[in-house]
Amino acid sequence: MTAFAQTREAAHSAQPSPTRKRRGGAVARRALLYITLIALLLVFIAPLLWALSGSLKRRGDIFSVPPSLIPNPLTFENYVNLLTTQPFAAWFGMSVGTALLATAISVFVCALAGYGFAKFRFRGKRVLFTVMFSSLSIPFAVILVPLFILVTKSGLANPWFSLIVPWVAPAFGIFMMQQFIVQSVPDDIIEAARIDGCSEFGTFWRIVLPLLRPSLGALAVWSFLQSYNSFMWPLVLVSDSNQYTLPLGLNILFASENRSYDLVLAGAVLASIPTILVFILLRKQLLEGLTAGAVKG
Amino acid sequence: MSTHTETTLVPGLRARRARSGRIRGGAAPYIFIAPFYVLYGLFMIVPVVAAIVLSLTEWVGLGAPDFIGIQNYVDLAHDTSFGGALANSAVYTAIAVLIVVPVSLLVAQALNARNLRLRDMFRVAYFVPMVLSPIVIALIYSLIFDRDYGLLNSSLQALFGLPHIDWLGDPTIAKGAIGFVLMWRTVGYLTIFFLAALQNVPGELYEAAALDGAGPVRSFFTVTLPSIRPVTAFVIVTSFISAAQLFDEPYLLTKGGPGEATLSVAMFIYRAAFERQQFGYAAAAGVVLFAIVFIISQGLNRLLGIGRES
Repeated sequence: MTAFAQTREAAHSAQPSPTRKRRGGAVARRALLYITLIALLLVFIAPLLWALSGSLKRRGDIFSVPPSLIPNPLTFENYVNLLTTQPFAAWFGMSVGTALLATAISVFVCALAGYGFAKFRFRGKRVLFTVMFSSLSIPFAVILVPLFILVTKSGLANPWFSLIVPWVAPAFGIFMMQQFIVQSVPDDIIEAARIDGCSEFGTFWRIVLPLLRPSLGALAVWSFLQSYNSFMWPLVLVSDSNQYTLPLGLNILFASENRSYDLVLAGAVLASIPTILVFILLRKQLLEGLTAGAVKG
Repeated sequence: MSTHTETTLVPGLRARRARSGRIRGGAAPYIFIAPFYVLYGLFMIVPVVAAIVLSLTEWVGLGAPDFIGIQNYVDLAHDTSFGGALANSAVYTAIAVLIVVPVSLLVAQALNARNLRLRDMFRVAYFVPMVLSPIVIALIYSLIFDRDYGLLNSSLQALFGLPHIDWLGDPTIAKGAIGFVLMWRTVGYLTIFFLAALQNVPGELYEAAALDGAGPVRSFFTVTLPSIRPVTAFVIVTSFISAAQLFDEPYLLTKGGPGEATLSVAMFIYRAAFERQQFGYAAAAGVVLFAIVFIISQGLNRLLGIGRES
């Protein structure tokens, strides 16, 4: 960007002291760029900081006028109240547990199918691929009602089963895995393993999966977020408050008569910690994993 | 699978697929893809077919469904509440495609500036909203937008002495507020796709354009946009599909109100099925949503050239 700015300004530099003028323009542009980026940073971070700070204030101080960012006095009473008066720990366990289960299943299923599509030639491949591809344009609301009926009438209303149902076979995960396998698993390795007498599944398990470790991380984070952050499905499915997921629990607290925004803010902070931690740890794999197919394709 | 958050389809995959996959394995490939297709069949194809069958019936959730032909669709066509929901969802998708996508491209363009310090820090920080639950975000924003004690109104009052504005209670402003929250949640996510694409544009193209006397604006339109077309297409289609099924924000911020001014199609379906027990009617609304999203996203794909060999 700057390069063009400079080129263009150079073309107009018939005026006195062109060097100083050009440098001045470039500096002004840089300054504007950083100001814009930092302003954006504030737009993204400020609401989160406000929520964090509010969760550490006394209930009466959260909406003090004028607003303040520093809690005074700082208190953990909202967190204590949340953990002692609500089954928050149970919601947390439900959310994390079902998300981990959904993640484990979907990563395994997607790696298998991605391998099948990436490395093999077989009859019906094109049709099967198109069927999967088209599911990406089916809004979840379309299958909400029939899926609800299927799950509740099947007698398998156990939340550990029903909550994960929408997340176990994501077509996007197959795209991601297929892309990675094409890029990072050479055909020769597979042929060599076969010649050595490795079974087909053995080749996948012992040769292919280890090569995919970084991308499995990306897919795992993505799957976890899908399930952990979901709201509409648990909303229609779960009615027992001990089986709520975090978004459901927070929604109920918020909708309650006395609008427990003090507890809601504390809960929002606690609910966000796992995903922010996972994201910070695996951000490189996730961001690169998400864009790899889109850019190199 | 499409969800309320993000679906991602990766352009160029079809071309790549044709080049790869040369190994013959007899039954092996079928066994590898079988677990996916079993789950996919049960939890995606069966429900889609069931939605179509159910949409031709009247059913309150108990006993046997009554077959009523296309009556549900006739009723939907006369239902002003459904018409309003379609119009609102059209507004949300328009905001997503016409505002959020261009803003994401501009942010990516800024982040792509040469020798930018802290590029990764900005990129990661902008992405953070995407890892939060949409419900957590909507909760925070409903406290910010609250008319009586919300952060926004009290800040505006403290700084400029402005009177309190009813951000979520006015039909037009409320749609804008929901659009803003949608933008806040998704800009960072879309930005990383644009940024990755911009970083892949060969520098020689820009040098050639500069030699031809193209300024920054012209080289943006003649070099940048054509080079990143596949990613742009992908971002537009993804944004469209996810905005068309928006549920969490209107549900939590406005409950669809005031009146039904912010009711989305997904909320309409939810209410029909789970507040009024009209399962057949809700299924029919879902089928209509499916048809519209499918036709428009196919149209966008064709218009923007996804899957075209390039």
